[in-house]
Amino acid sequence: MTSFRQLSETRTFRTSWFSHRINLKVMMLIALAIAILILLMLWAITLGAVDLSIREVWNATWGDGDRKTLLVVRTLRWPRIATAVVIGMALAISGMLFQSIARNPLVSPDIIGINSGATVVAVAWLVIVRNTSQLPLAAFLGAILTAAIIYLLSWRNGASPDRMILVGIGVASMTQAVTALILVRFPLEQIRPAVVWTMGSIYGSTWRDVVITSLVVLVSLPFAILLMQPLRAMSLGDNVTRSLGIPLEMTRLGVILIGCALAAVSVAFAGPIGFVALMVPHMARMIAGPQSGGVLVFSGILGGIILLLSDTLALHFLPVVLPVGVVTGAIGAPYFLFLLYRSNSRM
Amino acid sequence: MSYLATDNLAIAYDNHVVVDGMSLQITEGTITTIIGPNGCGKSTLLRALARILAPKQGTVLLQGQDIHAMSTTAVARNMGLLSQQAESPDRITVSELVARGRYPHQKFLQPLTKKDLDAVDKALDLADMTSLRDAAVDELSGGQRQRAWIAMLLAQETPLMMLDEPTTYLDVAHEIEVMQLVRRLNREEGRTIVMVLHDINQAASVSDRIIAMRDGRIVADGSPDDVVTIEVLSTLYGVHCDVYQHDHHMPRGRFCMPRSNSNCGACLFAPSRPGFAVSELQTGYGKRVISQDLSLTIPGGLVTAIIGPNACGKSTLLKTIGRLQKRAAGQILLDNTEVSKESHRKLARKLAMLGQGALIPDRLTVEDLVTAGRYPRQSVWQRCSLEDERMVEWALEKCRLLELRDIPVESLSGGQRQRAWFAMSIVQDTPTLLLDEPTTFLDISAQIDLLDIVWQLNRDHGKTIVMVLHDLNLAARYADYIIAMKDGRIAAQGLPTEVIVPEVMQAVYGIESSILTDQATGMPLMIPLRGM
Repeated sequence: MTSFRQLSETRTFRTSWFSHRINLKVMMLIALAIAILILLMLWAITLGAVDLSIREVWNATWGDGDRKTLLVVRTLRWPRIATAVVIGMALAISGMLFQSIARNPLVSPDIIGINSGATVVAVAWLVIVRNTSQLPLAAFLGAILTAAIIYLLSWRNGASPDRMILVGIGVASMTQAVTALILVRFPLEQIRPAVVWTMGSIYGSTWRDVVITSLVVLVSLPFAILLMQPLRAMSLGDNVTRSLGIPLEMTRLGVILIGCALAAVSVAFAGPIGFVALMVPHMARMIAGPQSGGVLVFSGILGGIILLLSDTLALHFLPVVLPVGVVTGAIGAPYFLFLLYRSNSRM
Repeated sequence: MSYLATDNLAIAYDNHVVVDGMSLQITEGTITTIIGPNGCGKSTLLRALARILAPKQGTVLLQGQDIHAMSTTAVARNMGLLSQQAESPDRITVSELVARGRYPHQKFLQPLTKKDLDAVDKALDLADMTSLRDAAVDELSGGQRQRAWIAMLLAQETPLMMLDEPTTYLDVAHEIEVMQLVRRLNREEGRTIVMVLHDINQAASVSDRIIAMRDGRIVADGSPDDVVTIEVLSTLYGVHCDVYQHDHHMPRGRFCMPRSNSNCGACLFAPSRPGFAVSELQTGYGKRVISQDLSLTIPGGLVTAIIGPNACGKSTLLKTIGRLQKRAAGQILLDNTEVSKESHRKLARKLAMLGQGALIPDRLTVEDLVTAGRYPRQSVWQRCSLEDERMVEWALEKCRLLELRDIPVESLSGGQRQRAWFAMSIVQDTPTLLLDEPTTFLDISAQIDLLDIVWQLNRDHGKTIVMVLHDLNLAARYADYIIAMKDGRIAAQGLPTEVIVPEVMQAVYGIESSILTDQATGMPLMIPLRGM
């Protein structure tokens, strides 16, 4: 505890119209995480059937190299790596927003049914409509529609977070049942792509995917950071929130909208990836301290690192190539348990 | 013969010693009460006596036997503990709750025997709860609920009963009800009773013996007449108290009242601002109506206290005028403006509210909590202005929290926590301050400290103060204006000298009382005449 206090020294920056308190520890952690992420990305691009050095990758990234290297680096590898990072960020930020709003550490978009809503639409799209080109759009609409249904069903004089969790779990079970029904009713060769999709993967991502997902993350992030300030006060309970003049329902709706958009875009382009949205915010808080705008950013970068690591592991270091969704739990969970063990023993 | 004894008992949490080498004997068939300031170790001592905590050193002896060498069932058949704020499961009825007290007597997986059922009936009868046996516990009033819990303890049929703050949250009438029950159990049933009370006057009214603790040690031990003295109370709490001895006004016990450090007691009569004007207000939760057609004025620039029995609608009124709770109908004007017309932020700059039952997130420090109170003054760009910093320092200093600023709120004692919440409400620097039971969990000296700050905020800074207060004598001393409520209606209002009178006390609480004059301030001092 004492070491934590010493490290989390804050510095105040103040001019006539601007004043902010910056937590130096969090800022340093963010810088460190960005550095690790960039190195990790460059290293991940060197891996694969065509062996490249970091220097070759660096040069090819900026358009310098032979045609084959350029193709491999810029068209094949970069989009996939960038998608992994952006999706990891979206998931982690969305998870932290949901956990803050629900004041419950066990909440994440996959638990309250947004992923399974997207899954049922995507599976129906793949199996029944048999169309792969508009798949992200279908999954995105499924996620948004499910989120809207959950929000409306849990509305009674305001949306209480507790009721949202219960309604979400109910909706999740229902949509999972429908998904299972579709998978059972159709022939095996027809459902195969759907089954692979439900494991969560980022095969064959293109620059288009990267642009769309990054746009959503870049637009959401400033709002999410701004909302962390009222969210901190909201953690003190509804009465305190109201007496501090925070418009409770509006803030809640704003957080839910941003959280859903991030969750929906990630499930649309990568399928339902578990673990990241639930666990990475916890990891971020255990490493960097209580929730704040800085910790939210840190959590996003950590999400990117975890998903990229998982994807790299899934692709290059396992005897069989697995979808990334299978691996996130396998590498994230032990690290999470380690952090949990350490924070317990410190208390 | 001593029934329960400790020998050189020490209890520590981690390395923090809470009870320090205590040896005491408790005689069979007596009522012993432990009093002392916040954090003196009184509840910890009681829990160690009940075998809930293991001592670091020393032993607790029950009839000469070490309780840690006895089986859990044997201990549970000999002593029962009523903890502070025990939680009851949803929708359990009174008789079901009371039947749980039979657990130590039941065999594994056996239904209640005739003997158990008789014990339950007898316990209900003793606690005067027979007529409410099928009522749901969560629908009872505070006093009834506390009696239901005591009945559960009675069904356990233990010769020794321990009660930890059995009167927290209860109004004066319910306090008397519970104290009378305790007295009856002792005198008629011969139970030995050990309790922790924070109210010295209650302790004096019911106990055979009072043990006064401070910093884990016994400061004084003896009859109420020995312990409730100016000298003992000033060493115990560090505040000077006036002690009123029994005469024809007071058939029993001694009564003490702490001195303030401010010149409170001199009422202001003229409001300096319009304050609140409430008309035809209906308050309630969903379909449950608490108050109907409530019209009242709360003077601006003065200190107003709202008093009344549990569940009379006083906290609901405070929350509704502070816009924390939706009203069903009516109008609420604050300084001539309808509060619902203000934006959230604008209203938050006009009035601050100290409520009850807030959440405490992990790892939030005292300074973080107090700083959160500055939210209504901050913008996207201005998150930490010089003014914010100055106000936070001022509030921390006023509430004596400077040394605690970096401590997580979750690890503070109840009294310290209450001071931190109070600091958060005054740091908002609003012209109006609403306080809901600000003195809960505080010992007498901390109560006086807090109310002295409230007094200064009013007299030096002209703030309008509206507070729900539990202690009538503190209300009489610190308020310029008192509103007494009963059953959602206003039963009386006016100057303290007009409201704190025997007729109003009878009408509002249904108690006999005698009114003396507070030696320190000349304001009325209400002493309940306990029918014991």
